[in-house]
Amino acid sequence: MTLRKKARNKFVKHLGKQFRDDKTLLQVYSRDMAELPSTTKLLIRNIPDGIILPRNIKDIQQAYKVANETKVPLIPRSAGTSGFGGSIPYKKGVILDGKGLESDIIVEPFDQSVLVSPSMVFSELQRYLKMQGVSLCVFPSSYYSATLGGFIAHGGYGVGSAQYGGAIDQILAIEVVLPNVELVNYTEREDIELIVGSNGTLGLITKVQLKIKFDIPLKHRGCTFDSPKELEDGLKVLASINPYSIWILNPKHVAEMNDAFGFTLPNRYVVLISKEVSFEEEESDFHASFNQAIRDGGGQILDKRYTDKIWDIRYKTFTMIKDYQDFLVSELILPIEKSGKYLQKLASEFNGQLHFEGEVINNSHFSLLLFLYFDEKLTPLKKTIINLKLYKTVMKGKKVGGFPYSTGLWFSGYYSKIFGKEQYKRYKELKKKVDPKNISNPGKVISPRVRIFPLITFKFALKIASWLIR
Amino acid sequence: MSWQVDVLEFAQKCVYCGYCSVCPTYKELKWENYHPRGIIDQIKLYFTEGTKDDLQKDVSKSLFEAIFACTMCKACENICIVDLPLLKIWEQVRQEAFKRGRWNPQLLSLYNKAKDTHNIYGLPAEERLSWAGMVGMNLARRTLKKAPLAYFVGCQASYSGKMIDIPASVVTILRKSKVPFTVLGNEEWCCGSPIFLAGGYSVGKTFAKHNLEQLKKLGVKRIVTACSGCYRAFKVVYPRILGEKWDIEVLHITELTKELLENKKLKIKNKISEKITFKDPCELVRHCGLSEPLRDVIEKIPNVRFEELPSNRDDALCCGGGGLLKLNNAELVKEVNDRLMTEIEFTEADIVTNGCPTCLDTIQYGAKQRGLEIEVIDVSELIKRLVEDKK
Ligand SMILES: Cc1cc2nc3c(=O)[nH]c(=O)nc-3n(C[C@H](O)[C@H](O)[C@H](O)COP(=O)(O)OP(=O)(O)OC[C@H]3O[C@@H](n4cnc5c(N)ncnc54)[C@H](O)[C@@H]3O)c2cc1C
Ligand code: SF4
Ligand code: SF4
Repeated sequence: MTLRKKARNKFVKHLGKQFRDDKTLLQVYSRDMAELPSTTKLLIRNIPDGIILPRNIKDIQQAYKVANETKVPLIPRSAGTSGFGGSIPYKKGVILDGKGLESDIIVEPFDQSVLVSPSMVFSELQRYLKMQGVSLCVFPSSYYSATLGGFIAHGGYGVGSAQYGGAIDQILAIEVVLPNVELVNYTEREDIELIVGSNGTLGLITKVQLKIKFDIPLKHRGCTFDSPKELEDGLKVLASINPYSIWILNPKHVAEMNDAFGFTLPNRYVVLISKEVSFEEEESDFHASFNQAIRDGGGQILDKRYTDKIWDIRYKTFTMIKDYQDFLVSELILPIEKSGKYLQKLASEFNGQLHFEGEVINNSHFSLLLFLYFDEKLTPLKKTIINLKLYKTVMKGKKVGGFPYSTGLWFSGYYSKIFGKEQYKRYKELKKKVDPKNISNPGKVISPRVRIFPLITFKFALKIASWLIR
Repeated sequence: MSWQVDVLEFAQKCVYCGYCSVCPTYKELKWENYHPRGIIDQIKLYFTEGTKDDLQKDVSKSLFEAIFACTMCKACENICIVDLPLLKIWEQVRQEAFKRGRWNPQLLSLYNKAKDTHNIYGLPAEERLSWAGMVGMNLARRTLKKAPLAYFVGCQASYSGKMIDIPASVVTILRKSKVPFTVLGNEEWCCGSPIFLAGGYSVGKTFAKHNLEQLKKLGVKRIVTACSGCYRAFKVVYPRILGEKWDIEVLHITELTKELLENKKLKIKNKISEKITFKDPCELVRHCGLSEPLRDVIEKIPNVRFEELPSNRDDALCCGGGGLLKLNNAELVKEVNDRLMTEIEFTEADIVTNGCPTCLDTIQYGAKQRGLEIEVIDVSELIKRLVEDKK
């Protein structure tokens, strides 16, 4: 079903050339990083009815006004690099492409902040900031493509999170056009935290003020562990030395890396620890605390000649996919405590073919990005089945206190697991108040009803389907 | 890798990471059908059998429009996380557009002119060396003479009045160094670069064959050029289409200068007191991996004031002029160029130099638009100023 004529006319009238619905463009906007197998088409109507590329706040307000009048869903989207289905339609609607927004970058070196458009890609903003001798604090490993808006809206973490926290911890102020067309500028954490991780369900982010820091060089050390249990023990100690980043690779991932980049890393769990170091004493302190941590936590020190090389590929690990015909990914957050048990199980799942990389996001947790590579192009059915198995694997993480990384569509219904019950309550109150018709990104965060079985939610359907799969 | 690639097979290997959003024209146009990743998606639709007719019609329109909005700057291919040969894919889609009669009239006109006259301006071959007369040089003793080195002037430097300083400078440098060289004169045919960029493989190949034949006749072992387009054609495209027959060493004027300075055949005689910056031409740096020789030369200038552009070497911004974009969307050229001009302005340089006539032209235009008091010169002009005798 395409847009009703009346609705389409309204969009055209109010947005002019910033509204388009040529067939090809609709196809181009119908996916995110996780390609939908054709088997899901029955459930998910992911081809949008139109695309809006707003240039300014007025365009966004017009879009929401028309959407409210015509009850057409609006789906905020930026670079489309997230794989949680947040930026694709669930039941058609019009994509609101935030990359049309442009604004000046205002750096306040004394306040250590930058005011910027959410359409900015991390690498570009960072290039600009580096010219001024300052730097962002945290970067997703999709550094070269992800936008600030998408990162915040999906509630991301990244390189640097061990020291500086997640998306929420970077924001000093955030401007949003709410679905009721009101323009708000939130500066209090309790308001900001509702926007972070809201996946566009509370409107389109239009400006952000982010914390910045001086551009301090990093020093790296590496170590290896023989087993998930040793890794767990080691991570506990390493997280306590307050590093900038801790990057974890499982043996299978290490083997792939050796192949792809010509490394000769040992076939164990490899951990790279990076620390901001401004002067010599700091560097020797880092080495001393790292060495002590290894003594306390166990593990073997990795030859220094490897560490810079590993750091250089921080934003390039997807390169390893190039020798394969197909791949699947999923992600979750795990508590360091008890992670050994879960990781031990992972080692035997999927015939030992699962590989992963993790990023410590605070003293107690790390994110885990799971990969499966295939030598053949998967048929839609096979892809669906393996995807469901992967989903089930992620869900097993709950047993040790883990939870999905973000909601989007695929993990809709898990907001309270990620952010807690109290925040979920406040989120729902705000959603009801500003978007009573559920115009902004329906089907995301709160699990939607399944179109062909409206009695059950998408979350429930996925759960059942994944448990039916052996 | 051969000329033709299986575009669909490669398109299916895209992992949708979006890194290719560095694309300078996508950054301006912003709709995802211009995103290299979006072009890949359209390629999948276009080349997959079974795409519905009405969609297929729309796809071809949208795909060909997007493919000609590309400057062929290669930023996408260089950053592609799974190393897709994107430029080859783009060239092939342009060929497909040709086959389907979907080139725009200006592009077709350039193609026909080049096909008939062997230069992109459609001017007589006899006028190839007119520039020499205009700057008071007599190249009769050098034209089509046996020599180990040939200076390949290129269409823009040969015919465009705006570029006249380029060949004049190169010849001054060569004469100063006393290396024997020849020029092909009337027998110099377009290197084929614009034709290849347009997707015209077979015509381009006849140009390549002709130029090789002429060079062989004169016993040429090395060829020097000051045009990044010609350089790319000789360095990347000719080996692909002529195979081992193309055994001529290719040098950019910056490479040759570096060598001549090292062999003491050239000497830096003059200082340059103005602050200099350098724009790496896409076709040199990303297509051919050439970025250091000019910097090495600049380093040798006593007390030089040189500042890199914020985006330099592999990260250099596109000037907007590549890929024949001017013929397809002149407005877009200006928009792309504007970002580069901001960086140039940021350096507060007095001279911006580069190694490509197309960059020269677009930067000159951009500087004029902004009212910048900056001199825009080709590297050959800069080198000439360093080595020439003071009048
Ligand atoms: C190679 C690679 C590495 C990655 N590494 C990381 C990583 O380290 N950490 C991490 O967190 N993620 C990572 N990701 C996932 C993804 O890149 C990030 O989540 C990214 O921040 C999403 O940004 P985007 O601009 O692509 O947003 P999109 O994918 O377009 O959107 C993400 C969500 O945000 C919403 N949204 C987008 N823009 C706005 C806006 N302006 N206002 C309101 N809502 C909006 C969308 O509706 C959607 O729900 C990685 C992905 C890839 C491909
Ligand atoms: S070659 Fe340059 S202009 Fe063309 S698609 Fe790639 S990045 Fe864009
Ligand atoms: S960089 Fe390469 S793999 Fe990534 S989206 Fe672009 S074409 Fe696809």
